[in-house]
Amino acid sequence: MLPFYFEVARTAFRRQLIYRWANLAGLLTNIFFGSIFSYVIIALFHARPVVAGYDVRDTLRYTWLIQSMVMIVLTFGWYDMMLTIRSGAVIADLSKPCDFYWYWFSREAGRAIYYLFYRGLPTYVAGMLLFGFGAPLDWQSWLAFPLSLTLGTALGIAYRMLYNSLAFWLLEARAMGTMFVVIALFFTGSYIPLAFFPPWLAPIIKWLPFNALINLPAEIVLGKVAGSTLLFELARQALWVVAVTLLVRAVIALAARRVIVQGG
Amino acid sequence: MITNILSDLRLYRYLLITQLRAQAQYKMNLAIDIGAYFAVTSLEFVGVLLYFGPFPTLLGWKVGEVAMLCAVMSISFGFAEMFGAGIDAFPDTIRLGEFDRVLLRPVNSFILVAGSDFRLRRLGRITQGCITFIIALRLLPGLNWTGMKLLVLVIGIGSGALLFTSVLLLGATLCFWTVESTEIMNILTYGGRDMLSYPLAIYNQFLQRFFLFVVPLAFGSFVPTCYLLGRPLPFGLPPEVAFAAPFVALVFAMAALVAWRFGVRHYQSTGS
Repeated sequence: MLPFYFEVARTAFRRQLIYRWANLAGLLTNIFFGSIFSYVIIALFHARPVVAGYDVRDTLRYTWLIQSMVMIVLTFGWYDMMLTIRSGAVIADLSKPCDFYWYWFSREAGRAIYYLFYRGLPTYVAGMLLFGFGAPLDWQSWLAFPLSLTLGTALGIAYRMLYNSLAFWLLEARAMGTMFVVIALFFTGSYIPLAFFPPWLAPIIKWLPFNALINLPAEIVLGKVAGSTLLFELARQALWVVAVTLLVRAVIALAARRVIVQGG
Repeated sequence: MITNILSDLRLYRYLLITQLRAQAQYKMNLAIDIGAYFAVTSLEFVGVLLYFGPFPTLLGWKVGEVAMLCAVMSISFGFAEMFGAGIDAFPDTIRLGEFDRVLLRPVNSFILVAGSDFRLRRLGRITQGCITFIIALRLLPGLNWTGMKLLVLVIGIGSGALLFTSVLLLGATLCFWTVESTEIMNILTYGGRDMLSYPLAIYNQFLQRFFLFVVPLAFGSFVPTCYLLGRPLPFGLPPEVAFAAPFVALVFAMAALVAWRFGVRHYQSTGS
């Protein structure tokens, strides 16, 4: 069965290769928004040199890391599965001789790998060239980063499928989907670095699953999480991946039992 | 000429009423949509507010002043999104070859496109803008309101909505040649909105000039807000240029409309 899922991922990767111009436009958008945030950050740091252990260079790196990972971990406006539910095409996927969850998971994993090379890396390099903040070079954090990014991506896929499966119950769930994504992005540091949140909120947001999406991999690269804390954080991240994956599988199983297909 | 404009307006009003009736059919869905959109835009603003926990000012701008800027931007952009929805959806019309049908009708094609959609759920952003405005007023007690300031606020919001709608129209016009991928125009609309939600002064000279003199979106947000707050404008512009906003917006809108007409004349159907 494994070669099958691998093939699904490879097909998704290759399908993505076709949209060259769309990717270029998206890349420019990422760079533009990264630049806006950078100007805001540079202006803010005129007032204070260091906040919560972050200086202006750390914060710029953080912002561009987040910008680079957003498309890999939590694609904005992903309603592919929701649309199959609405059109009724989902029944074809449900009757395939493979697991419904791992089928979508493989597709999204293929896309994530595409975005890693064609979106994430170019975005960070562009930010580096525009604002000259370089890259942190600590071998320990670079060793842990691939693992944490992989876990974050797996969690992102599970989360995406969770709000997409709302469509089994709601006719039009796109607005809800947007809200799910925006809340996740907010609590994973894409609007403002998590380190800048009010201190009393910190224990709560660190335990939320969203922390494990993009914030944790970014903090690991920056060397903000090291030693035994690193092990603890990775374990907590893995725990969230397992928990949310099980939850989505349960939701899908529940929906599949009572699904009424629309359309014809 | 006058009768033409009148009949165009009547047609537009008719199209709007049709849209409103259609969207009011699914009341529950509409309520969820507006609520979700309100939550999303509010979170954006909370993100801005949180920066002012650790940092006292943004290049001299206090939290209330930035909130005022965000409020003006949210309201004007909200109106542009609501009325410009049909223009925003235009790429699909082109791609599916449906613009052929539009052209066959003996009425103004621009009115048909502009009236083809109207998104009531954008009320979510406008509501958020109004609440932000109230928050800004609470944070800025020393603001001496005069009739002039009120006038600048109103014409600023109106001009901003017109400017953003014109940018949407330029994006739609581009589709006559590119057929697809106006994603690049998102940089100008959503990027412009996000960029101008912060004081223009934090950006480099090129960007400042661009948003003041080339695509004058700053006239719909930054310029009127500076007038309200009594803050100086960049490049030694006098604060009174805030009163010029409607003319700037009108000139830009006319330019966008000329580009659109030019596009319509060069339209070649996709034939698919």
